[in-house]
Amino acid sequence: MENAPHTSPNTPRAEQQFFDDPAMDRLMGTVMALAQEHYVLRDRVRALEGELARTKALNPAALDQEPTPEQRAETTADRSDFVEALLKPLLGQQEALGAPGRHSLKANV
Amino acid sequence: MDERAFAAGQDFLLAAKTFWTTTMYRELRDTAAVRAPQAETMAHVAEVLEKTVLYQSFAWLERHLQRMKYAGRYGLMPYHRERRAALLNTVSGDEAALELDPDLALPAYYTGVDIHQQPGGVWRDDIAALAYERGARSTTPMLGTAHKDLHDRFTDIAVEQGAPEKVLDMGCGFGKSTQPFAQRFPDASIEAVDLSAPCVSLAAHTTQKNQAKNVRFRQMDACATDYDDESFDLVTSTMVIHEMPPKTIDAMLDEAYRVLEPGGRMVHLDFYCLPDAFRQFIYYGHARRNNEPYMPLLAETDLADVLARKGFTDIEIAPFQEASGVDMDANDAWRFPWTVIAATKPAVV
Ligand SMILES: C[S@@+](CC[C@H](N)C(=O)[O-])C[C@H]1O[C@@H](n2cnc3c(N)ncnc32)[C@H](O)[C@@H]1O
Repeated sequence: MENAPHTSPNTPRAEQQFFDDPAMDRLMGTVMALAQEHYVLRDRVRALEGELARTKALNPAALDQEPTPEQRAETTADRSDFVEALLKPLLGQQEALGAPGRHSLKANV
Repeated sequence: MDERAFAAGQDFLLAAKTFWTTTMYRELRDTAAVRAPQAETMAHVAEVLEKTVLYQSFAWLERHLQRMKYAGRYGLMPYHRERRAALLNTVSGDEAALELDPDLALPAYYTGVDIHQQPGGVWRDDIAALAYERGARSTTPMLGTAHKDLHDRFTDIAVEQGAPEKVLDMGCGFGKSTQPFAQRFPDASIEAVDLSAPCVSLAAHTTQKNQAKNVRFRQMDACATDYDDESFDLVTSTMVIHEMPPKTIDAMLDEAYRVLEPGGRMVHLDFYCLPDAFRQFIYYGHARRNNEPYMPLLAETDLADVLARKGFTDIEIAPFQEASGVDMDANDAWRFPWTVIAATKPAVV
């Protein structure tokens, strides 16, 4: 239960800005949230492996081994798909044909 | 959110804060030393640092790591809210040492800002004190578990002039500053006041658990207590003054003077001594980023003069070493400008 009405206004205040471009400020927020989520998952996988190893459902040594050339080959396509999805936005190219560039509805632009 | 995810999410933030406190801070310090070696003012440091991406990233992280600590997906507030009923069950008993004042009007300086970015402050939500207590464990990553050590070290200084008999701890929070007095001086009578109901409730609960019988926690404004004149031989506060605007500090010091016995000592631990322009720049930035709007006002107050004008004597304002092993001159990692502010009410006026 809340003890007392909060006296600060209910409408959110604008967040502080640190970078020259405010988009950077917001993007950093997204990146850090992802980084934290990533770490939480890492932690969970480690716990999961530990638990599986403890109950002998998994041989950790086998899991940690360098993948064989065959195993690597099997995952090549997945890897390049992943990298492409990650980096393709940097090219700034359209996926479906449409008007290019930046748009404005201001008069005389 | 499960316990493991919460712990991992918070550990991640603490690791990031540690990097920020050490590597990033050092980088920033070195950059300032190279680009503005003679900087005498904060504005001069600002001129060279504010446009660097390094400083911008440093500033961003300072604000947002703290935001994520309290409000993020793995934040302290959502964690405690999810467990509200169960957690409150563990702390709300018939605390003998507790006195609440539901009619207490909280001052505007206090309710108008969510101090140190805890949404709702340390008072608005019943679980606020629990979240604050949990968060305080990682406020200063370099200290780690030694944060308790800090209050013990302060207690050593506060009692330098002898074992106290009647102690008042102003702005006691959840009692971390009060417990060392209660434990070390079982024969002393200890009173502790704070505006926050959840904080004094948690403090009283902890006291009950520790079986201390010599201490009472009361929800009360430290600037206007109901104690008789000359009721205490020691008045203390830790990390309270910087959360108050100058007028409130003034009122709190007046109140300390009033309730002190002649010859009594007043000892505060706070943030004050800023040795150079770089650290001043970092500290002022911290104040803004961490929602601590009154910090700069305190830094600009001539405390020795204020205390002298009130009639205090034996005024001592000195840097405080918050943990053993901290090199106070090295400026090698980010740290608060810890300062002990002490003064005596003269025995014969
Ligand atoms: C940073 S906390 C410090 C708590 C404790 N002394 C410690 O060291 O852990 C500051 C405390 O000051 C309290 N406070 C602020 N203004 C106050 C006032 N006018 N009277 C009493 N307490 C006040 C807040 O509620 C908060 O609990």
